[in-house]
Amino acid sequence: MAASSSSSRPQMGRNAGLVLGVLVLAALPLVLGASNYLLGLFISALILAGISLAWALLGNLGGMVSFGHAAFFGVGAYASALISARLGVPVLLAIPLAGLCAALCSLAMLPALRLSGPYFALAILAYAQIFRILATEATWLTGGAAGLQRYPGLPTIFGFDLSTRTGSYVLLVLLVALCALAYVAIRRSHVGTALRAIAESEDATRVVGVNSVMLKAWMLLLSAFMTGLFGALNAHIIGFLDPDYAFSGVWSVMPIIAAIFGGYRTILGPVAGAILIYMFDQVVAKSLIAVGHQILLGILLAVMILVAPNGVLGLFKRAKGGNRHAEA
Amino acid sequence: MLRLDQVSVRFGGLMALKDVSFELKGGEILGLVGPNGAGKTTLFNVISGLTRARGRTLFNDKDISALPLHKRARVGIGRTFQIPQPMKHLTVRENLTVAQVFGAGRNDPARIDEILDVMQLSEQADRDAQSGLALQELKRLEIAKALATEPKLLLLDEVLAGLESQAKRQFTGKLKELHARFGLTIVIVEHDIETISDLCSRAVVLNFGQLIADGTPAEVFRNPLVVESYTGTPHA
Repeated sequence: MAASSSSSRPQMGRNAGLVLGVLVLAALPLVLGASNYLLGLFISALILAGISLAWALLGNLGGMVSFGHAAFFGVGAYASALISARLGVPVLLAIPLAGLCAALCSLAMLPALRLSGPYFALAILAYAQIFRILATEATWLTGGAAGLQRYPGLPTIFGFDLSTRTGSYVLLVLLVALCALAYVAIRRSHVGTALRAIAESEDATRVVGVNSVMLKAWMLLLSAFMTGLFGALNAHIIGFLDPDYAFSGVWSVMPIIAAIFGGYRTILGPVAGAILIYMFDQVVAKSLIAVGHQILLGILLAVMILVAPNGVLGLFKRAKGGNRHAEA
Repeated sequence: MLRLDQVSVRFGGLMALKDVSFELKGGEILGLVGPNGAGKTTLFNVISGLTRARGRTLFNDKDISALPLHKRARVGIGRTFQIPQPMKHLTVRENLTVAQVFGAGRNDPARIDEILDVMQLSEQADRDAQSGLALQELKRLEIAKALATEPKLLLLDEVLAGLESQAKRQFTGKLKELHARFGLTIVIVEHDIETISDLCSRAVVLNFGQLIADGTPAEVFRNPLVVESYTGTPHA
């Protein structure tokens, strides 16, 4: 559908912000050069950023709070590893196919779309657990608790080895940017406008002709697809999978923390939040508390919610005297 | 245009509507009257698809009883809520655009401008619908949203409530203007006898979920059952 009518100047500013953000991220490997350690941290942060973006898309456009993105992440990871290893499909084709598998799995969640608030959140949490159990028990397919090890890593294309830290990093920046652009396009369409309204005024939107269940279903499919992509990419980067890792609750909880920290109503917020949160956890919190460092994340999030409920980007907007509703 | 046939709604042990039947012709302005809790809003919910009911609802000779809420808007039934329900986080113009795109199936900014102008909301077009409007403006936005869906039938739930008498007269004049300009059929829930008499060619009265009177406003307000339903005592 055509873009909704907003003033073009703020949109141009937001576009510029997005492009600048992507360029800064893409330039980091050149700036940081030989530091494989830091690149590794940024790779993990970008995986988290991708899931956070997918989570925020679902929360912001449709008002669905998910505690089960680990399911989509795990399905994407296993699907890509299995498709490439068992069927011999090239890895770069297996990754989007894995995203589709995650989206297909989300179809089972469609009945939960009639639920709202905590009921939806709990339903999707239960769903994530079912997939973790399936991955553990379906030994013939997934290797069970022993996991999967022998599947291809990222390939070399046009002489550029994607399996190196720099290669993986660049691929992840591109993928995060593509997902962000898809999010921007949807948000600016009439569908996106209706979805923003559905989040808090569902009856008011339905009564004017919006099929809220259908639109929310599309957002769930897209969010699952995006999360599956990052699960798949992560699987090929780390080269090992087991159910406890691939379906870990971390993949459900960390994106929520990151998105809320950054500002889940914005598009850059979840990405910025993921990078800041992950770096804080790995660089600062771990050096202060070696075991149980996540407690600092909890404290940080609580403080953020109290001080700046619209997240870091909301804080910036407020400092700049920006509008009521940050839209980076 | 609209026919309700033996419509009943039960909420647990409460019979909110009991075998309500009436017909509405195209172009009519019908007043829906009754004491609080009589079932007026429930009837609106049934017609607009928010509440499922036993019995049949026919719109332009088609049975729409099983039609979901969002499709009722698309066949030409628009409604307002007693407590205004703007689409939060959207501007006034975005509210109307969503209503037009999804309800009428087209995107016509000129028509949106016309509706904003008619409903005296042009100056507020870019304001946040949730926090930027006064109560009267919210009520006008309710109607504007419904108009953006290009309805044939407009259900107005106490849009005049809370207005002072002069504002009420102005608003009544506005409703007459909308009726003529957009060729609407209107059902309005309203308690004020003077307003119903001025605006409506016909009124139906509900009490305890049952239709107890149907006729011109003058006939209806003389009806002993109606007087009793409001005063609680038999008409002298």
